[in-house]
Amino acid sequence: MDFLTNISPISCSLLVVLLPFLAFLYQAIVGRKARSGNVSLVAISLSAILSIYLFWNQSPIESNIEWFRIGDKRFFLGILLNNTTLLMQALVSIVALPVHIYSKAYMKGDSGIHRYWMYLSLFCFAMLGLVVSSNLLQLYIFWELVGFASYLLIGFWFTKESAAQANKKAFIINRIGDLGFLIGLAIVYAQFGTFNIVELFAVNGLAENWFSQVNSLSGTWLTVAGCAFFLGAMAKSAQFPLHVWLPDAMEGPTSVSSLIHAATMVAAGVFLLATVFPLLNETVLLIIAIIGTTTALLAAFFALTQNDIKKILAFSTISQLGFMVVGIGIGAWDAALFHLTTHAFFKCLLFLAAGAVIHEMAHFKHETNLDFDPQDINFMGGLKNYMPKTALLMGIASLALAGFPLTSGFLSKDALVISTFEWAVAKGGLYYAFPIILIAVSLMTSFYIGRLILKTFFGDFAFAKNLKAAKIHEASKTMIYPMAFLALFCLFIVFSWNPISYHLSWVLKEFNLTYTFEEIHSLHILIPVILTVGSLLMWWIGYQLYIQKKQQVKQNALFRFSFNQGYLNEFYAKTIIKPTLLLANFSYWFDRTIIDGLVDLLSKITVALSNLFAWVDKYIVDGIVNAFGSIAYGTGNLLRWVQNGRLQSYLGFAFTMVLLGLIYLIVI
Amino acid sequence: MITLTHCLVVSACIFCIGLYAVLAKRNAIMVLVGIELMINAAILNFVAFGKYDESNYGGQIFALFAIVLAAAAVAVGLAIILNVYRKNKTINLDDITDLRD
Amino acid sequence: MGILSILLLLPLFACLLILAIPSSYRNSYKYIALGFAFLQFLVSGYLYWQFDGSQTGINSVSGYQFVEQLPWLRLDLGSLGQLEIDYFIGIDGISMPLILLSTIVMLMAIGASWNISKSLKGYFALMMLLSTAIIGIFVALDFFLFYIFYEVMLLPLYFLIGIWGGARREYAAIKFFIYTLFGSVFMLLVMVGLYFSVINPDTGAHTFNMLHMMNPANYVDGSFFATAANSFDVFGIPARMVGFIILFIAFAIKIPIVPLHTWLPDAHVEAPTPVSIILAGILLKIGGYGIIRICYSVFPDAAVQANWWIGLIGVVSIIYGALNALAQKDLKRMIAYSSVSHMGFVTLGIASMTVEGISGAMFQMVSHGFLSAALFFMVGVIYDRVHDRYIYNFRGLATLMPKFTAYLAIAFFASLGLPGFSAFIGEAFVIIGTFNAELVGTGISRWMALAGSIGILLSAVYFLWTLQRMFFGQTRLKGGEEWAVALTDLSKREQLILFPTIALSLLLGIMPSLVFDQMNAAVVNLVALVSTHL
Repeated sequence: MDFLTNISPISCSLLVVLLPFLAFLYQAIVGRKARSGNVSLVAISLSAILSIYLFWNQSPIESNIEWFRIGDKRFFLGILLNNTTLLMQALVSIVALPVHIYSKAYMKGDSGIHRYWMYLSLFCFAMLGLVVSSNLLQLYIFWELVGFASYLLIGFWFTKESAAQANKKAFIINRIGDLGFLIGLAIVYAQFGTFNIVELFAVNGLAENWFSQVNSLSGTWLTVAGCAFFLGAMAKSAQFPLHVWLPDAMEGPTSVSSLIHAATMVAAGVFLLATVFPLLNETVLLIIAIIGTTTALLAAFFALTQNDIKKILAFSTISQLGFMVVGIGIGAWDAALFHLTTHAFFKCLLFLAAGAVIHEMAHFKHETNLDFDPQDINFMGGLKNYMPKTALLMGIASLALAGFPLTSGFLSKDALVISTFEWAVAKGGLYYAFPIILIAVSLMTSFYIGRLILKTFFGDFAFAKNLKAAKIHEASKTMIYPMAFLALFCLFIVFSWNPISYHLSWVLKEFNLTYTFEEIHSLHILIPVILTVGSLLMWWIGYQLYIQKKQQVKQNALFRFSFNQGYLNEFYAKTIIKPTLLLANFSYWFDRTIIDGLVDLLSKITVALSNLFAWVDKYIVDGIVNAFGSIAYGTGNLLRWVQNGRLQSYLGFAFTMVLLGLIYLIVI
Repeated sequence: MITLTHCLVVSACIFCIGLYAVLAKRNAIMVLVGIELMINAAILNFVAFGKYDESNYGGQIFALFAIVLAAAAVAVGLAIILNVYRKNKTINLDDITDLRD
Repeated sequence: MGILSILLLLPLFACLLILAIPSSYRNSYKYIALGFAFLQFLVSGYLYWQFDGSQTGINSVSGYQFVEQLPWLRLDLGSLGQLEIDYFIGIDGISMPLILLSTIVMLMAIGASWNISKSLKGYFALMMLLSTAIIGIFVALDFFLFYIFYEVMLLPLYFLIGIWGGARREYAAIKFFIYTLFGSVFMLLVMVGLYFSVINPDTGAHTFNMLHMMNPANYVDGSFFATAANSFDVFGIPARMVGFIILFIAFAIKIPIVPLHTWLPDAHVEAPTPVSIILAGILLKIGGYGIIRICYSVFPDAAVQANWWIGLIGVVSIIYGALNALAQKDLKRMIAYSSVSHMGFVTLGIASMTVEGISGAMFQMVSHGFLSAALFFMVGVIYDRVHDRYIYNFRGLATLMPKFTAYLAIAFFASLGLPGFSAFIGEAFVIIGTFNAELVGTGISRWMALAGSIGILLSAVYFLWTLQRMFFGQTRLKGGEEWAVALTDLSKREQLILFPTIALSLLLGIMPSLVFDQMNAAVVNLVALVSTHL
């Protein structure tokens, strides 16, 4: 233990980051033979242990090494450890650990499993590297790397056309965000000449003193910078209108969805915003709040009618990310990070449980040769009888998601909703819309997650008569234990001794953030009561609708709007993809016909001109020369007949000449 | 009275006949004859103009001289024709164009 | 004989050797070429190792390294004075990375020529001649010498495309040749103009020495390109601006910029794979190198004025090239257009005239050298197997050729600027430098940085689309079973060629200092030289 206690936090953290990388390298080099994933598992376990060992309330430290220099500007690689990064690092490695264990059972027997472990380790490396980066450039690098790992994992089953489409979509949309981030970087660099996070964003750091820089950019650029960073966060954290990649990303293995597209990577946007928070001015914050609210509302609305169990959860993720983004927007980034933390656990658990269900359904489908979508909740029902533990664990996670008392979600969500309300009170006027929408979204959340649970685990199983042919089993222990582990984190006790008041949570206590708005005590009782009672009401309605089947759900326009995800994909296809392709084809046409055409025309003109000159040369210049020749030749030819060999002609000619001479003599 | 003019006219006529024969006849013999005629025309002129040289009779002497020359020329000419005939089996001048370029 | 001369003459010697060996030993040619290319690579590696990155280069002889200067042509021209042409070579931080790049790409190209079967003697002799010319261009410090190498380079390329190329090879070869010649004949004019305007301060004679051309004090007052009190103009444009524009066009054709790029898709598509590799890997860099070495250094005053337009050209090239790449159905053509787009970053970076921008541009050149060479090589791999490159004719290749797909995917992602690979550093710093340029006052607007970044987005779009369309999904090939059999995975030789390029791209992405350290001093000096005219 001496070794461990003497090790510096920085090298410890470095180890946390590098262990998955080594696992990645091992998988990449050994390739097809390394199917067990033990190396990845060991790496992430060690990372998790180390990050827990490091965890919490270190005094902020950072360490940098010079990476390269351009001119006299130096660029660094480094690790920054403060409460935010430590929280994120621990979160990522702790969530990744059960997912790794779970994957061992879930991905068993897949022919490409060696790739799976490789990608997964790459992702863990990138994500852990992202959260402890000490400068924005390095953060950006890992930011893209997680996107790349996510691309690989979404397209893990690349022979599936939909998967290949989905990962392309995910990467490209993330790319849009990355560009925002890059522009943000350029602005920050132009303004401050450094990327160091502490220098920039510490209390009273450079970012807070935008206008006191030497060659200062105008205030507009401050807003642009904020928007640029937010664009990056929007893409990564799937905010409206860039959220469309996340539902499609569900094409990846469920374990991947749980880790990357629910718990960690998608939260990176929120993490980024929390990091660059001092740079965000009032305008940007308002935009962030608006986008966050819109996202929360729309995603929750879309989640209401989805049938694919993973899609529901995906939209739920988007909606919850919207909550966090609102938290940033109102300045309560600590609450956002808190919700990020709790959300990571319960959403990961939800996905894993859903994965267990899908796993069994797919198995069932395979055994019975029935044709149905194993992810469609309409074909499930009553599964609690067959997989009670899974049902229980998923139930706990759902309660956390709905923000039911005694769960972690209750604490963090209330923190967000109440803070928003207080913020709105401070601002007044139209700002009340934000908390009201958030409350409505919370109720919708309760409804859709209730619907999911009810349709999956309660009621009657759709294929009950086929159960003779094949059984549905409880998930295996390798899957249940990690889920149980995560379920533990869904309880209030992990985050706060007091199940009612989020203020006592250690997460918020240590961030110790001062809000710009007043605390209103009455809200701290009122809102939780409203939310809890509302949730119960929602579940009762859900129970009436889906179990008692008292009433059919009407498929009106609103339903279709929700079911088709607001027709956004179609909208993008029409307004962005198609015009871009048209533009591309047009520019190619332009290139071929106009530019290259011009070149060809030029060459044709040159050739034509040459032909003209060749003609002139042949018939005029050379013509004159030839004409002289021809004249001489003609004359000669003309005189030739004189020389015909006939003596008499010669004589006659001679005589004629003499005669002419005589005449000449006579006449002259 | 036969004047000089008469002599000259006759001479001119003979010359022209000779010339015609030289230019137009196809037979080499006839051409030779034409040449003789022309020479004779010249001789006639000598004789006719001899009237003005009464002291030395130059006209007559040259006439005689010319006749001898003409005879020699004819002999040579005939010999050439003979040789031409031997070579070409003809004495038709139109068929003998060896001098052509 | 100095080490640079050895580097320069090695391939020439190989060329002669190949010509001397009778055709009955034709199988030895490729080994000779490979051996010499490898030797050349070792020599350039030694150069790199010995290179001192702190030397400033650019405009003073003392800043150059491995300098060799021999009088070459001395002619007494009577009233025109003494003609001075030197064999003057040397390298600085700008040329060093490019020389190393050239030798590596050359080695790769020879490796890719293994299956060439048509008149081997000519092929390898021309390749070696080309190699000499390329190195010559990068080391020449005498304008006349530079020009000679520049022209000599055209000849082997013309034949290499015209004889060993694809279906429309003659068209492509002629187009390429005439395009380049179009630029270089005017370059000759400017060169002569400069000759008569510049005086060697040591001898008092006119000179072709580029370094003297960079010093305003060496210009004769009242001469055509005089730096001070110059009243000459052509069609109302000041003489020095005209000189700059002409030189810029000459090199810009090589880069290439839109709208002078149309030789590139044709030449790349019709050229045999090794020549495509050289074209994309080295030839395009000559354009960027020439602009930095000659245009901006000799005419910094004109460069400063024309800057905005050059930046605009860069942006247009980036976006226009990317859009065109998006519309392609022929894989090779797509990569050719992506080259136009990626080289646009070079133009933009140079135009930014900030240390970050120019460093980024240089880095992008090196990076693009490796990556485009790898990409063209990989197109060649598919084309070798089934003689088809049409994207729609393939689907699900990943199942058939997993290794190939892995390499291709890595190369694609590296090209589209994934961090960890070299292109990212290049593109990111071009964007950052461009953005910074407005603060320095180099006349580049900030929106150019934003527009340039759209090119990065589009490159992701077309690369990913291709990846998805050709490699993912269920295997479906136009040629059916026959193709499926023909499309074998990468061979050892192919992997041996590909791996180093990808590895180098990765290495440079992780350790950019390998390049930056060599050129920092030179770039700073260049920026200082140019920015005195701001």
